Formats: sequence, structure tokens, C-alpha cells
Amino acid sequence: MSYSSLKAKMMEAFRLRMFVYGSIIGLAFLILLLQLFNLQVIQGKDYVTRARINMENNIPILASRGEIYDRNFKQNNPNLTIVSNRPSFNLTTIPSKFTTKEERRKVFHNLALLLRLSEDSLINDISGKNPWERIILAEDVDFDIIVKIASHSEHFKNIDWEDAPVRVYNYGSMFSHLAGYIGSISTQQYSKLREQGYKNYHKIGKSGIESQYDSILRGKDGYIRRIVDVRNRVEEEEVGLVPSAGNNLILTVDYAVQKAAYDAMEGNMGGVVVLKPSTGEILAMVSKPDFDPNLVISKNNSSIIRELGDNKDKPFVNRSIQSKYPPASTFKLVTAITALETEKAAGETTYYCPGKYTLKGYKDKDFYCYEGHAHGTLNLYNAIAFSCSVYFYNLGYRVGPTNILRYADYFGLNEKTGVDLPSEVPGFLPSRTWKQKALGEPWYDGDTINMSIGQGFLALTPIGMANFVAAIVNNGIVYRPHIIKEIRNPDNSSVIKTVDREKMREIPLSPTSLDIVKTGMRMGAMAGTSVRLNSLKFQVAGKTGTAQTRSVRSEKYSQHAWFVGYGPFNAEPEKAVVVVVLVEYGIAGAVRAVPVAERVFAKLYDLGYFQ
Amino acid sequence: MKRPENLYKIDYLLVGVIILIVGIGCLLIYSGGFDPIEKINNGLYKRQIIWFIIGLVVMIAFTFISYHQIGDYAHYIYAAVLVLLLFTTLFGSSVRNIRAWLNFGLFSIQPAEFMKLAVVILLAKLLEMRERDIKHFREILLPALIILVPVVIILNQPDFGTAVVFIPILFTMLFVGGADISHLVSIILVASIALVLPMALTYSEWVGDDSSNIIFDFFKNTNRLFIVSGILFAAACITFVLRYIYVNKMFKKIYIPCGVLSLGLLCSVLIQNFFKLYQKRRILVFLNPELDPQASGYHIIQSKIAIGSGGFLGKGFLQGSQAQLGFLPEKTSDFIFSVAAEEWGFLGAVILLLLLGFVMFRGIQTALEAKDKFGALLASGITSIMFFHILINIGMVIGVMPVTGLPLCFVSYGGSNLMMCMISIGILINIRTKKHVY
Repeated sequence: MSYSSLKAKMMEAFRLRMFVYGSIIGLAFLILLLQLFNLQVIQGKDYVTRARINMENNIPILASRGEIYDRNFKQNNPNLTIVSNRPSFNLTTIPSKFTTKEERRKVFHNLALLLRLSEDSLINDISGKNPWERIILAEDVDFDIIVKIASHSEHFKNIDWEDAPVRVYNYGSMFSHLAGYIGSISTQQYSKLREQGYKNYHKIGKSGIESQYDSILRGKDGYIRRIVDVRNRVEEEEVGLVPSAGNNLILTVDYAVQKAAYDAMEGNMGGVVVLKPSTGEILAMVSKPDFDPNLVISKNNSSIIRELGDNKDKPFVNRSIQSKYPPASTFKLVTAITALETEKAAGETTYYCPGKYTLKGYKDKDFYCYEGHAHGTLNLYNAIAFSCSVYFYNLGYRVGPTNILRYADYFGLNEKTGVDLPSEVPGFLPSRTWKQKALGEPWYDGDTINMSIGQGFLALTPIGMANFVAAIVNNGIVYRPHIIKEIRNPDNSSVIKTVDREKMREIPLSPTSLDIVKTGMRMGAMAGTSVRLNSLKFQVAGKTGTAQTRSVRSEKYSQHAWFVGYGPFNAEPEKAVVVVVLVEYGIAGAVRAVPVAERVFAKLYDLGYFQ
Repeated sequence: MKRPENLYKIDYLLVGVIILIVGIGCLLIYSGGFDPIEKINNGLYKRQIIWFIIGLVVMIAFTFISYHQIGDYAHYIYAAVLVLLLFTTLFGSSVRNIRAWLNFGLFSIQPAEFMKLAVVILLAKLLEMRERDIKHFREILLPALIILVPVVIILNQPDFGTAVVFIPILFTMLFVGGADISHLVSIILVASIALVLPMALTYSEWVGDDSSNIIFDFFKNTNRLFIVSGILFAAACITFVLRYIYVNKMFKKIYIPCGVLSLGLLCSVLIQNFFKLYQKRRILVFLNPELDPQASGYHIIQSKIAIGSGGFLGKGFLQGSQAQLGFLPEKTSDFIFSVAAEEWGFLGAVILLLLLGFVMFRGIQTALEAKDKFGALLASGITSIMFFHILINIGMVIGVMPVTGLPLCFVSYGGSNLMMCMISIGILINIRTKKHVY
């Protein structure tokens, strides 16, 4: 091979390799181009979103919570605001805005003087936090202080404030169980509620209406849109969304009735339920002992909450819906209705009361009338009016437990009433199978005797009893007891939703038996156990009860006092109002419960409910 | 030599494109150095402009220096830069724990950048001299040694990215210089086999993949690997000897693959046993940054967000949120292309890419038109320096290449790299002006 041909061959090989080299470069550039196209044109939108998430650090503007008014709410006259909001402010700062430590020390010194705090506590607030982030220095600061800070801003450089309205329970403990209170969202709650838009810095209703209607009261947060850099420094700030306040609630509760019931219960423990049977509207609901929600939500509330929680009298429990008591003589009404409806007795059926009833058996057992009274011969009317236990022992024995329980069941006494408040408990009715299972004992005749006067295993809530009386008054029709009348727009007070009555059950009861029971109750108020109510300016019907239970306090037997009743006696159901009172350790129904009912009835009359 | 008509032969189009690219680079450095909150600029762009002006002068100077003269001094240049590099590695000043800078007060230089050019010049000279014998495997050894010395020094700085870029440059020059393809492929195969097995094992261990795999299970046992490697090695040796007894080309087809496989397996055993777990994981993260989203993976994710969110037309100059608000790291150096793609969109990125592509094209063209082998090799070597920087840098920021701290030629902030690139362009232009001089 000659040199030149060799040279030419090598040249050819070189050119081929340069061509391969150039192609590789071209291919590489093509791949870069395609990936750029993929990122910027095909996936561009996804990355725009991710870039926005990177740079936006929105801070919420908390929505103001809806207010709660009593049933007499009138537009432009918000006198009776049960729960409202008080304007308040948080003082905030962004520590990195201070250029020198000396500058910060001066500002903190001034602030400490103004707030009557120590400088150290302010420094504690910011230590260990991200210095580029907004930090709360003081909560619930008065407007006066904000004015001072704003007018002397040269002394308070870099101190900002934000709206942070504080909940105010205007009538304190009077509405403690009804209104409830709010609190910080717990970790467990948060994990359940985060999907519904709750945030971990939100306050949430913890009990009462605040809890039941939290979703309506809480409103929708707005936010301030902030553009931040990688170190969270703010580049731009604007209102991204104006918050919308939560809706206002109008209660079915009448402040005046509530106040009367609350005042009447002063010094007692127990519950009061005042109910309109024709609609299910609750006019008042009281539980004692109570608490002040304002203290529960106050700044240093942990000791207060602990104290209330540890209290043996359990002030957090709403006794009207969360506590069960033996219904005692008030249950005689159930026995009476059962006997009448099953035609085992009529109004004129008589029994003789010698003061005790002897149950024949292997071993005779005596059951006594209340405090050994001997009522003589009575008919059913008188038996109800004077609450003769011996009469009802006889009646109950004759009717039998199955029938009594069947009618109690018709009235829904073993169910929740469905009132729109959280944590209601259902009443309890025993049965043969329950007793066998729970106690391993058969049902004895003695159990029947006990049950017919409301003792033994029975346990009912005050609201359950109120619902039962409402059924009698309303000729067997029961509406769901409820506490909210309307939901209204916070801005213009227009009605968003009116809560209509909701029929829960319709019990087929004959008018005759209802008349007999009502008349018996009326006689009780005229001359019988509730005779005190006779002094009222209108006709009231009622039934007392004295439940014997083991006292939590003294380990001795003690007595809870019941009153269930309604008025006016002969008016149409639309005008009637049911009142149920339970007083724990109340000696006897006639002694402690009836006076409370009397004051409530008197107030209702004064307010014109019966016109 | 320096006749005035040489001025007419200067490739003004190339010079214009270079000025355009560096101008774009300065704008991007301005954008990257701008703090939108404090409304101030860190002023790096001014330094880059000064470097560029000096670079332009140096480039024009180099267009007048005959590349043959440079070739004559190739080994001196290499030795001088190597000494400088060694000195830097021992006594230089550190930035982020990498001892790569010689500080002169007003400015500092990075000898490793100039080393790239020195290596290319020396390799071009050597490969030209050994052109006839290049088909022999032994001819690869000296070029390998020439790059190995600076690579080992740079690895001790330690600057992994800069060290790695020497290897593809060497392969390109050997390829263009006429080395036997089978040799080059064999070396690449040995390296791949040596890496693949340990990396696959480390990966499956890391992600907790317990699925049993016959091949994996077999190779997890190092003794078995040794035996397989030994048998293959013996087979290679026997056939290699047999070739001298019976002249038959068949043997070559046996001993080469056997030898490659044997060596590869042997190396993989060494890597598997002598590398620490964290070292193997570091190589894995280098190959796939998504494995470590906290560190390098985070940077790539932010870079992809920047580029992707730029869309077709971009967010506008100084308007890129990723760059301006600091989510993008190293935005004036390694990730400068992301700033371009975010603020000027696909359109701007493609224009920048095409301008760089034009420089590549001129490099290849110069190599093809060079009047001698040295010129051709020098031009392709210079082109390969720029090409691999562009490929690795842009490939990294768009997530198709491993993460290495390599600058983007002409665009990234950095005096040494810019100076080296300007000198390279000067040499390229000089090679091209000589194409018709015989």
C-alpha cells in the first residue's frame, strides 16, 4: 500500500468517525430539547402549580363565629344576644425585622411596660422560633392598647396586630349547658375533621350548641396571600379572600323563661325542661350545678377546666339530657295509661289503700304507700292526684309488666328524644330478658310492683319525661324537641333556614284514657301533691315523684324530687307548655320541685304564653 | 505569520455568537444575583463582564498564535498546569470544602479548568504522533495515564464532577484519533460490568426489595464470582496462547469477551467488598438523585419546577419565582440554565441551546477542515470539552443526567471556565484560519 493511499484510507476512517461524533452531539442536543419540551410544554401546568405552592405562604384571617340569640330576636334590636364576639387583638412581630438587638430590646421594653409583662416573657415568646415568621406576642389585647401602640408607633417599631375576636357568653352560667363552649381542636378531632376544612389552629365547639352547630357557626376563613422566598421572607402581601362570618342562630329558648327557671333552681342540683308540645320547641333548659363558659375559654383556663372536671357534683354534665333518674311516681301515669288502653281498668276502678300492699308468695312481702299513708278507697283520678302507691301496686300487678313496658316503649321512653344537643342519653326500661342476662335472675312479681310506681330498674332523663308529658298533652303526637328556631345570615339577618317541627311518633291513644290521666293530674294540682300550683292564675295539671336512690354523696338512700306537668289544663295543645323539674336530693317532689315549676309557670303566664 | 489578512479570516460569526451567549449569561447572572426583597444585586455580573472583556482580548490573541506552536509546547503546558493544580490541591483556598482555587486577592483562578485544555492539547499532540500504531491496545495506556494523574489530583480536592468530565473527553479523543473500537468498547464494558452488579445489589438492599432473583442470588456469593471470573480468565489465557500456535481469527472472538467479562466481574467483586456502603450509595445517588430527595434530589426537583413552570414563553426577566425567591440553588453557576428556562421559557431555552449547538457545529466543522491531524484532534478535543459540559450541565438541571457540579460553558458565572472557553475558541478560530494554508 502506498503512503498516499494509506493516508486517504485513514482520512476516510477519520471522516467517518467525525460523522459519528457529530451525530452523537446532535442526538444529545435533540434529547435535551425533547426533555425541555416535555417539562415546559407538556408538564408545564403541573410545575406552575408546584412553583406556586413553593412561594405562597398564606396566613388565615379567622372568620368570626356566628352569634346566638334568644327566640325573641328582632332585627336591629340585638338586645338578647346569648353568645356574641368581643373585638380583641393579638400583638405580633416578625423578629428578623429588627436590625439590631438593641433596637429590639428597646421596643420590648416599651411593650412590656404597656402590657404589664416582663421583658423576659416577650423574649421567651420569640426564642426558638423561625425569625422570619409572624409570632404572637400577646393575645386578647384591648383596643386601648392597640390605639396607644398605633399612636406611638415610633416606640413600637415592627409590632403589628391582628383581629382575634374572643367569644363572649353574655349570661354566663345561665346558658352554660345550652350554649356550651369552644376550645382548641384536639389531635384526635383534628385527624377526623381535617377533611372538612378544619385547621389545627381553629377553635371548635366542645359542648352544647357550640358543638352541635359548629359547622353552621364557624363560617369560612379568609386568607392573606403572601409571596415568600425560600427563607420565608415576605415579598408581597394582599388579601386573598375576605372571611365570611358564621351564621347566627336564633334559639327556641326564651331568655325570660330560662332566667326564671335558672333563678328558681338556685341552690338546687338537677334539671328543668320547658317544652312546647305542639312544636317540640324548648323554651328553657337548665342544669345545676353549672359553670361559667367565659372562664372555661379564658386565657389561663387549664386549672379552671381541671377543677370543674374533678368536681364531684359534675357541673359539666347537662342533667336535663345526660342524667337518668328513677322516674318514681311520675311513671304512674304510664301505668295508668297502660291499664286504661288495655281496658284492665277505667276511671272509676277502685282499690282500697290500707297503707301497704302485701304480695302473696313463698314469703309474703309488704310494699308501703308513701310514708305509710293510708288513702282508703280511691278511684284512678284520686290515685293519680294523691299519688297512691298501693292503688298502682294493684293496677300494675293486674296489667302485668309486658303491657307496661309495651306502652313505655310506645312513648319512646327507652330512646333518645333526638334533641339537637350533643351527648343525650336514652332512658332505660328493664325487661325480663334484660334482667336474666344482666343480673342472672328471673323477673319477680316484686319487680312488677316496683316498676308500676316507677321504682326499681327504671331510669329516665328529664327531657325524656318532658317528651312523655308532651305526648299526653298533644294527644299522642310527639315532635322532636329542639333548641334552634332559625338560622340567620350574619350580614343582613335574613332567614337562611327555619327549623320546622318534626313529627317523631304518633301513639294511638284513646281520648278517654288521656282525659282520665289529664284530669287526675289536674286534681293533683288542685288538691293533691301539687296543690301549691293552685295559687297560679291559670289551671295547671301535674304529677310529682320522689325517687329513692343511693346517694353518691353520703352512701345513704336519698330522694330525688320530680315534677312533670303542663298548663293551661283545658286549653288546646297549641297553647300548652310542659314543665319538667328534677331536683337531686330534693326531699320530695312536692317540697323542692313544685316551687320551681310554680315560678316557671308564673313567668310563662306573665309572658303571655297562654293567651 | 501575523499578516493583517489573517484578520479577514477570523470567523466573525462564531465570535458574534460567543458574544451573544456570554451576554445572555451576564443577564442571567444579573437575574440570579438579584434579591427581590432587598432590591439589590450581589454584583457578580459585573465581575463576569470584566472576565469576559479580558477573555475576549485573550481569545483574539490566541487567534494569532499558531496552534502548531501551542502543540510544540504541549508537554510544558501540561506540566505547568499540573504543577499549578497540585499546588492548589495542597495549598489552595477552599470554597464549600473543595480546595480548588488559587486566590490572588482581587480574583482567584481554578487550575482544574485549564487542565482540561492542557490535557486536550497534549492528547492531540500524542495521538498525532502515534497515529500509525494507535490500533494497538498499548497505545491507549499513555493517554489514559495523562488523564489519570490530574483526575486523581482533582479527586483529592475533592471535586468529583470536574474529575469525571475528563473521562468522556479522553474517550472522544481516542475515538477520533483512530483507536480500535473493540478496545474502547471493551473498556466501557469492563467498567459497566464492574459497576452494574454492586449497584444493583446496593439498590435492592436500599429500597428493601426482597424479591428473590436467581441472578442476584447467584452473584451475592463472592466466592462464586471469583470462580466464574477465574474460569473465564483461564479460558481467555488459554485461547490467547493458542492463537500464537494455531493462527485462527476464531480465538480472538473467544479471548476478548472472556477477558472482558472476567475483568469486569473481578472489578465488581472488588467494588462490592472494598467500597463502604455509603460510598456505593453515593454513586447510586449520583446516578439517580431521586433516591435522596433531601439533598441533591431536592435541588433537581426545584430545578425541574423552575424549568417546567417557565412554560413556553417564560415568566419574564427577573420574574422567575423559583430563581428570584431562592428556591433554585446555585442559580448563577450550576443551575443557570434553569433561570433561563424559567424566565424566558421554552423559547428562550431553545434559542440558548441552538446558539450553543452552533458552537459545537463550528467545532466539528473545524476538525473536519483542519489541514492536519493535530488540528483535527485539537478541534474535536476542544469541542468535546464544551460538549460534555453542556450535556452534563443541562442534562442535570432538566433531570436526565447525574448531579455533578459542572458549569455551563460561556453562561455560568466563573472566570476560569470562561477564560478557558475563550482560549479554546481562539484556538478553534486559529485552526480554521489555517485550513487553506499549505
